[in-house]
Amino acid sequence: MKLSDAVELLTSTYQSLDAVALGLPVDAKEVADALAKADPDSAEYVALQALAKVNPYENTKKEKVKQNDDTNQE
Amino acid sequence: MALPNKVLPGFSASLYCQASATPTPLSTANLSVYASTSALAVSANLLPVEAIPAFGQDDAMANFNVAGSRQSDKIPTQAAPTSMTITAAWNPADANLLLMRGDAYNGTIDRTFIISATDGTNIVNYAFNGRVGQFSVDPNPTAEAKCTFTIHPRGNQYGWSNNT
Repeated sequence: MKLSDAVELLTSTYQSLDAVALGLPVDAKEVADALAKADPDSAEYVALQALAKVNPYENTKKEKVKQNDDTNQE
Repeated sequence: MALPNKVLPGFSASLYCQASATPTPLSTANLSVYASTSALAVSANLLPVEAIPAFGQDDAMANFNVAGSRQSDKIPTQAAPTSMTITAAWNPADANLLLMRGDAYNGTIDRTFIISATDGTNIVNYAFNGRVGQFSVDPNPTAEAKCTFTIHPRGNQYGWSNNT
């Protein structure tokens, strides 16, 4: 589902945001990026927060780099 | 929901209602947006109530017992928001009280209400959508006339916001 469609649905619903967000399959990274850019005093921000809660984004790239890091002196 | 990040030590609270006989209440997300709620919390929308009643969530739970066990278990179940019974001096010329009376007669009008708490600088808004379920006027001649009405908030439709 497109993130813009999910946000539009969440900003217009009268249901529980958490319950509605559970049924909206969106990309977690896209949500995290949009949340970082959103105005905190906007309905979009509230909607993105609900989406981020059920689609947590973890940046695994850094961890992989650490695992392959052979400069460990131990 | 954004939680208020302010503690107001000593504050005054006011109740505001959305104007119009046929209002479109704020969506759930907008109830947590200060810019949306503060636009409704203006003096023209003030309800002249005597006090702000308790608001929040009622308790609802189921009791489970296991034979032989000393203690039982209370499991929270679906709870309704607290209904708010409000008393105001009855002024038949007050537009907002007339809106409450109209809502009570209609029974199906959803309206956004705002409880705004302020210490003079910081403002915390609790916004919710609700229906007015009861309205009565007490015309006792030994005191000023009072009206009493009850707001039943809609489930899940609430939000907190603050100005900083």
